[in-house]
Amino acid sequence: MCAVLPKTAPREICSESARSARTPGEQWRDTDGIHIEARGLAPPAPLVAIIKLVESVLDATPVIVHHDRDPVPLYAELAQRGWIAQRIEGETGEVRLRLSKGS
Amino acid sequence: MAIASTFLGGAKGRLLAPSIPFRFFATAVLFQGLAWLALLWAAPSVPRFAGGLGWPLASLHLFTLGVLMMTAIGASLQLLPVATRQAVPAAKWPYDLVWSLYTAGVVGLTSGMASAAPTVLLGGAIALASALLIFLFLLVRNLRGAKGMRLVVVHGWAACWSLLVLLGTGLSLAGGYSGLALFERQSAIGLHVTFAGYGFMGMLVMGLSYILVPMFALSDNPAPRWASLSVALAIVALALALLVSFGMLPTHFFRLYLGIGAVAFAIHVALMVQSLRTGMRQGLGKSFVLVRLGWTGLGASFLAALALEFQVLTVSGPTLFGVLLVGGLLTMLLGVLSRIVPFLASMHAGAGRRRPPTPSSLTAQRPLDIHFYSHVAALLTLLVAVLLDSVWLVRASAVVGVLGAAAFGVFFVNAWQRMTQIAPGIDVPTAPKPQA
Repeated sequence: MCAVLPKTAPREICSESARSARTPGEQWRDTDGIHIEARGLAPPAPLVAIIKLVESVLDATPVIVHHDRDPVPLYAELAQRGWIAQRIEGETGEVRLRLSKGS
Repeated sequence: MAIASTFLGGAKGRLLAPSIPFRFFATAVLFQGLAWLALLWAAPSVPRFAGGLGWPLASLHLFTLGVLMMTAIGASLQLLPVATRQAVPAAKWPYDLVWSLYTAGVVGLTSGMASAAPTVLLGGAIALASALLIFLFLLVRNLRGAKGMRLVVVHGWAACWSLLVLLGTGLSLAGGYSGLALFERQSAIGLHVTFAGYGFMGMLVMGLSYILVPMFALSDNPAPRWASLSVALAIVALALALLVSFGMLPTHFFRLYLGIGAVAFAIHVALMVQSLRTGMRQGLGKSFVLVRLGWTGLGASFLAALALEFQVLTVSGPTLFGVLLVGGLLTMLLGVLSRIVPFLASMHAGAGRRRPPTPSSLTAQRPLDIHFYSHVAALLTLLVAVLLDSVWLVRASAVVGVLGAAAFGVFFVNAWQRMTQIAPGIDVPTAPKPQA
């Protein structure tokens, strides 16, 4: 599935097959939400990119973060914006998070 | 389905038990109060202080070693592993040892200075040096295994080398009172001040600022080219200072060192100001007013040093330079600390929770406000006191400084209490695993 991304998206890639060749900071939409590739970005760029993306989401679409470390400063920022994070299974060495608007 | 307990999963490897950094911060808060009290006692000798044992020197080192370096050690022990993606050692004893030796060393050294007891002073210096060598080992191990963050790592290495110069000259100066000097006294003092203020503290603070300032402001990373130029110039400046002090370059190169150092610092500040200006979070409050005032003080310290070199300043020049340098670093560090404390508390208290507490919910704003006004008033009064050669103004600044330090202490204790109320037994975090 492919849909319009938020304005902050630097690039749009819609296919599953392209996943292995993501560039740092890339965003794409899939069936489970809007994904962001945070791996390869130097701190605090992942935090800033994720918060920019979260703030651009106006509906209840979840955000899936692909990270190479646990983004410890992110959680308080999310809480301030009424979002919550859940860790979900990802690739080996990946920290994958599902961010959603808290109920 | 993922569950809330996975929150902060994986962070454990890079987060120290909160009691470790908070212990360093708490001690720094305590020493801040003692430093202002020592200044009150030292007041008659402060405006024209020109070195030598006594209460002014003790007060100065309570500020530099007790507050500045204590905070820098606590912050770097926690923040560098996060920045460089390093796992922290599971054992707590190296940190306990660093803190115990360092705290005992500060007490011994400053007591020896205040009471003019060279043996006590030397004992304190040896304890301090031992603590700093263990800290240096931890720092080097972290930097050697760093993944990415080249800019921060370069600053870290420069801070490590500066620490070695600082230790060598410090031990020489302390030993000098017992007839055990390693270097000529004037050269050692010059190097000691340079490598303490601009070398170790300056490089560590600048390096960590490249992460912390954009993180707090939610802005993009500063331009790497300019940041690299800044750190390269800073390292060149420090190398020049070292070569001049060892007589390998003519003394007028000292002015070049100051000029290059000032340019390096100006580039750094410009990058940080741009980061604050372009960040998503604009209202960073009084904490970043302190940071900006700190930058101003540090910038002015370069001008004061140049004025001293050109013999423009009067007899109070060295004291004025010292107040600007130490006051600038202190103001900046307290501004950052007032952000880091609730931020770290939030990260620790949030472990295992669906909704972590926000840093603002762990911040007692009123004591922070009192601290802000008291600290700024105390430093400005001290500057005027030095310029007017007024003992009474020194006393007034010290009294207001004590009030500010007490208010900061209330803020700190409050943050710790709120964190431990939310997460009792926080020093033993669990290690959650990801779930499908």
